[in-house]
Amino acid sequence: MIETMNLTKIYNPGTPREVVAARDVNIRIDDGTITILRGPSGSGKTTVLSMIGLILTPSSGRILIDGENVTRYSDYWKALYRRMNVGFIFQHINLLPGYTAMENVLIPLLCLDEDVLNYKNKALELFKRLKITERVGNLVQQLSGGEQQRVALVRALVRDPKIILADEPTVFVDEETARIVFEMFGELRDQGKTVVVSTHDPRLIKIADRVYTMEKGTVVREQEA
Amino acid sequence: MLKRHRNFFHYALDCLKKYKTRTFVVLIAFTIAISMLSSILFLKDGLEREAELSVSLAPDITVSYLQGGRVLLLPSSYIDKASEIKGVVRALPRIWGYDGKGLNTYTVRGLDLSGVEVDYGFSNLVKKGRFLVPEDAGTGSIVIGELLAGVLKVDVGDTMILLSESIEANRFTVVGIFSSETTIYTADLIVMPIDDARKFFKIPEGYVTDMIIYTDPEVPVDNVAAELSTMPNARVLTKDILLRGYKAAYGGRGGFLVTFWVILLSAVALVCFSQATIVGRESMFEVGLLKTFGFTTLDIIEIRLIESLILGVFSASLGMVIGIVYDIWFKAGIFAQSLLGWAFLPAEFHMPVYVSFPSVFSLYAVTVLPLLFATTVPAWLNAITDPELAMRRAAA
Repeated sequence: MIETMNLTKIYNPGTPREVVAARDVNIRIDDGTITILRGPSGSGKTTVLSMIGLILTPSSGRILIDGENVTRYSDYWKALYRRMNVGFIFQHINLLPGYTAMENVLIPLLCLDEDVLNYKNKALELFKRLKITERVGNLVQQLSGGEQQRVALVRALVRDPKIILADEPTVFVDEETARIVFEMFGELRDQGKTVVVSTHDPRLIKIADRVYTMEKGTVVREQEA
Repeated sequence: MLKRHRNFFHYALDCLKKYKTRTFVVLIAFTIAISMLSSILFLKDGLEREAELSVSLAPDITVSYLQGGRVLLLPSSYIDKASEIKGVVRALPRIWGYDGKGLNTYTVRGLDLSGVEVDYGFSNLVKKGRFLVPEDAGTGSIVIGELLAGVLKVDVGDTMILLSESIEANRFTVVGIFSSETTIYTADLIVMPIDDARKFFKIPEGYVTDMIIYTDPEVPVDNVAAELSTMPNARVLTKDILLRGYKAAYGGRGGFLVTFWVILLSAVALVCFSQATIVGRESMFEVGLLKTFGFTTLDIIEIRLIESLILGVFSASLGMVIGIVYDIWFKAGIFAQSLLGWAFLPAEFHMPVYVSFPSVFSLYAVTVLPLLFATTVPAWLNAITDPELAMRRAAA
């Protein structure tokens, strides 16, 4: 279980460019559930998602993982935690240009003490399910936005992480692919995985276990399914 | 653990291919700088080695005559006096000098061949023919350097005429040719019996150019030298002093050139740093993303270290090969004259090149270390930033 307590993030504090991206955010994410963060653009969803994923250090507040306060744990510990437990799907997709779709999926695995090619079959299965098999050898800059989003999905899921953090995962994809993504998230929950999604998509909200609505950096509503 | 490092190695190779422009600029810049620097260092090492070889053939002590700070002819009576000093096994007269013009510049050395059991270390250096024997006295027999033989187009058995300073023709017969092992020492050398040299230079009887001393190995050379120094007007040079003189000459000239090229190399390192900054935005994004996936700061630095090592070792190795080729095939062009300074170099002269371990080590160090610094520091700065912030800044 992941919990946040009064989680706050202020960018450029004490300067004229100061931005309070999140303030006193308290949320709870149970294992094996789908949790949705919804709200308008600039409401702080991405910032909260980044802090939960331990890729952004909060200005104040605490992040508890299974009851343990990991907020000020070392950079090294956080990296290992992400390596072993978290799969990210970014709003801006964030694929590495100059590499093929398959290389983009395999690069995150290089830090494991394993032969990355062992994951190739699993990646191909996911590519097939997301109907992008014929594009695995293409450079990512040759792919459409929707195709890139699907590559990012494969990259996040290929390692079978315990926690999936997805930031607007269906924003670039077509109806059919969006439906597959929902299905996959449902399956992941059924397998006991934890899925946290920042989204506007009402269809995804329907399958959520808990929904937090954010406005101006704070949680204004919490709904349980 | 090994698989992870192997993965990083492959990724580093991919990065080198991916950032083609940076790789190319760094490779070219370092290769050029290292090729020039290695050319100088290998040449300097070669000259110092030549000096050591030359000095190893030299007598234990050389004594010349100084008056008013100028070297004059040494009275032959000094030889008898020197022979009486404890520790002196043999004191021999020598007449030598320079002559010739243009391509025919040479060093003439006249040796006392009576009692030639002391062969001055020359017999091992003869490549063709033989060294002089006592019976050669007065016959015009000479042994000459291989380079000079090439320039004058003479071989063993040939007769040649040398014009002396007083423009008198002197006829000589070549009985031997020195090998080119000690290029600088023997390249332009003509060895002849001392009386022939006396006649050639018109040195009056009772005088010689200097004398050479062979000492008893059980008596310290410095003690003998100190005793010889008590002779009036004597300038005493031991092997060690000669070697230090040679090394100071080549080392000093080489040092000047090395300093120049090290400064240039620093400029190259700055180019690398700026190249690292040019790709900094992309690299910052990449580092942030890799950290998101669970790469640690150390992992990132390891990847950049591998990249720098591959690039540094490759460019340094390539630069050294080019440096050696430049020294051997192109005779070190612009550096040769600067290093040798005093020497006239005919086209046939082969620069002595010696690839020493300390120089190779230094060359790798001056390439790899700045490169490691120029590429890993920006990577480290990115790696210690929150991954999300690094990606956000890169995208801004």
